[in-house]
Amino acid sequence: MRAQNAGSVPQRIMVVRCPSLCGPDASVAGPQAARLFERVIGVLTGFCPDVEAAEPGVCAFGARGPARYFGGEALLASKIIAAVAELGVESRVGAADGMFAALLAARRAEPIDPGAVLVIPPGGTAGFLAAQPVSVLADQDLAGLLKRLGLGTLGDLAALPASDVASRFGDAGEAVHRLARGLDLRPLVGRPPAHDLSVAREFDPPAPLAEPVVFAAKTLAEQLHAGLAARGLTCVRVQVRVTWADGEESSRLWRHDGLLTAAGVADRVRWQLDGRRVGPGDGQYAQGGIGMLRLVPDQVVRATGHQLALWGEAVVSDRVARAAMRVQAMLGHEAVLRPVTGGGRNVSEQVSHVPFGEKREPRLAAGPPWPGRIMGAAPGVVYPVAREAEVTDDAGRLVTVSGRCVLSAAPARLVIGREPPRLITAWAGPWPLSERWWDAAAARRRARFQLATDDGRVWLAVVRDSRWLIEAGYW
Amino acid sequence: MLPALPALRDLLPRGGLARGSVLAVPEFGLLCLALAAGASAAGAWCGIAGVPEAGVAAAVGAGLDAERTLLVPDPGSAWPQVVASLLDGCELILLRPPATAPAQIRRRLEAVLRRAGGVLVVAGDWPGAQVRLRVITQRWTGLGDGHGRVRACCAEVTADGRGEAALTRTRWLWLPAEDGGVTVANPEDIPVPSIPVAGTSPGLRAVSAG
Repeated sequence: MRAQNAGSVPQRIMVVRCPSLCGPDASVAGPQAARLFERVIGVLTGFCPDVEAAEPGVCAFGARGPARYFGGEALLASKIIAAVAELGVESRVGAADGMFAALLAARRAEPIDPGAVLVIPPGGTAGFLAAQPVSVLADQDLAGLLKRLGLGTLGDLAALPASDVASRFGDAGEAVHRLARGLDLRPLVGRPPAHDLSVAREFDPPAPLAEPVVFAAKTLAEQLHAGLAARGLTCVRVQVRVTWADGEESSRLWRHDGLLTAAGVADRVRWQLDGRRVGPGDGQYAQGGIGMLRLVPDQVVRATGHQLALWGEAVVSDRVARAAMRVQAMLGHEAVLRPVTGGGRNVSEQVSHVPFGEKREPRLAAGPPWPGRIMGAAPGVVYPVAREAEVTDDAGRLVTVSGRCVLSAAPARLVIGREPPRLITAWAGPWPLSERWWDAAAARRRARFQLATDDGRVWLAVVRDSRWLIEAGYW
Repeated sequence: MLPALPALRDLLPRGGLARGSVLAVPEFGLLCLALAAGASAAGAWCGIAGVPEAGVAAAVGAGLDAERTLLVPDPGSAWPQVVASLLDGCELILLRPPATAPAQIRRRLEAVLRRAGGVLVVAGDWPGAQVRLRVITQRWTGLGDGHGRVRACCAEVTADGRGEAALTRTRWLWLPAEDGGVTVANPEDIPVPSIPVAGTSPGLRAVSAG
C-alpha cells in the first residue's frame, strides 16, 4: 500500500549502491559497468520483483514486503550484500522512509559498519536528514546559496516555514524543503517485467551435423527479431546457447546492435559450432550432437534507429570482421582485441585493449597531461604482468630506495626471474611516482629506473615496497 | 609484394615482403614490429598472435596503424587454426608460436599463406622461412651512469635466407630513432659501445640470486 497523499508517512525504501559502478570511485566504466549492473539488478529481482534502477550503479525497491519475508531489514540487507558479492561487486545498503533518505543512507553506509548497512529506523528519518549537510542536495548552486545564508544542514532548512522558503527560492526551494522534512513521496518506478524474448528449438534425436542447426538458427533469429520488433525493442548483444547431447552447454555472446540479419545470426551459430568440431572438414562433435539451440537477447534496449559506425570510428571491412569473429568463436569474445593508444603514467596503461566489436576508446584519455610518464623512446616489449627481478650493487647487496628517493648504492647487476645475472652498463633514475596519494587504499609510491645491461638491452624497472619489478624492455 | 619501411628495404629481397612468404626473427622485439609497421602504414590489416607483451606504442611510433591491428594475445593450442582464420582478414600476421611448430603444421600453414597471399612474420624458429632477420648488436643512446634517459638505439641487423635472399646483408639502423621511427644510420653516427659500470670479474664471487 503506497502513501498517496502528502500527509502520510513515506514508504519504506531500501537502496542498494555499488560504489565500484558509480560515482567518482568507479573502477569499472562504460559497457562493462552496464553489463555488471544489469546482473546486479537480476540478483535483486530475486529478493523483490519490482526494482527501480535509480541511477547507474544505484537501485531501489520498496522494503516493506521483502523485509517481512526475509526477517527484517538488516537481515535482508546482509543477504543482498552477500548475493551481490558473489558477482564480485561490492555494495552498500541503506534503508529509510522515502527514496531521498534511503539514497543518503546508502551513501553514508561505511564499509566498516557491520555489513555495510545503514538502516534508519521508522520515524528516525527526520532526525537523520536534519543532521545532513546541505551539500548532499543535487542542486549544487542552491546548496551553495543556502550555505552562504547560514543554513548548513537540512535540519536548518527544514526548520524554516515552508511558505517563506517557497517565496524566497521558488519551486526548487519548495521541493528541497519537502525533501529536508522527509516528505519525499516520489513513487518507485519499477522496471517493466522482463518478457522472456528468447527463442529455442529442440532437436530430437540430437543433430549430429551443423547444417540443420544452422538452418533452424535462421528461422529462430527471424522469430527473435519479430518478437523484439513487436515491442519496439532491440538487443545490444545476442547470446547463442547450445545444449549438447551429453548435457554440456556452450554459450557465447555476439554483438548485435539491431544490425544483424537472420542470416548473420545463423553465421555466428555456425562459427560457434565449428569451434567445437573435433576433426577437419565434416567431422563429428565430441559431445555427440546438438540437443537444443537457444537464442537469448542480451541487454534489451529501445530501438532508436541504427547507429552508423558500428565499430566506432573506422569502418571494418566484412572480411576482417569475419576473420576476427571466427577467432572469437574459437577462443571467446575477449580473445581478439584491438589496441587503442591513450594516456597514463605507466607504459602498460598507455595502450588499452578493447575486445573486437566493442567501441574503441582508451581507458585513460590522452588529453590531460600525465606528469611522471616516461619520456623518450617507447619500449617494444611491455609485460602485461611485471616480472620479478633483483638488482644488486657491486658488493652483491640488494639496492634499495629510501622514502626520500635516495639510492643505497649504484645498481650493478640485474637478475630477472631465474635467468642468469646481467651486468648493468648504464642506468638512470630513480624517478619517483606517487599516484592517488589522496586515497589511502589505492595510493602507490614507486621509483622507476632504466637499466642498460651488457647484452645490449635496456629495461624499465620499478621499485615498489622494496621489490624490484621489470615492467618493460627496450629492444 | 607488401611494402616495408624504407629503412628495411635494403635488407629484404626485392625491397619488400613477398606475399605468401615467411620471415623469421629469432626473438620478438622492435624488429618484428617494424616489419609489420611498413605494411600497416600502407593500409594492410595486421594480426599479432601469441605476443601478449607486444609494445603497441613503440609499433605505432614506427608506423603501425593501431586501428588496423588485431591482437590475439593467447591463441593457445589452436594457434594454427587461429592463424589460418586471421589470414582471411589480415594481410600480415606476426606470430610467436608456443613451440617450434611440427613440419606438418608448418607446411599446411604455408599452403594457406600462399593461397591467401599473406605474409607471416614469425618471432621464433621456422625452418622453412624464406628470409631470416636478426639483430646482432644494439647500442642505446641517452643513458648515462645514473642520469639521462633512453633516447634511441643503433642496431646492426643482418638478413639471410633461401633463394634470392641467400646473400647475407648487414645494415646499421636506428631502431628506433629519437622520434620513434626507423631510419638508416650514418656510419659516423654509430655510438661506441659502453663499458660496464660494475666490476669486470663477476665470476670470482657468488652473486646472491635468491
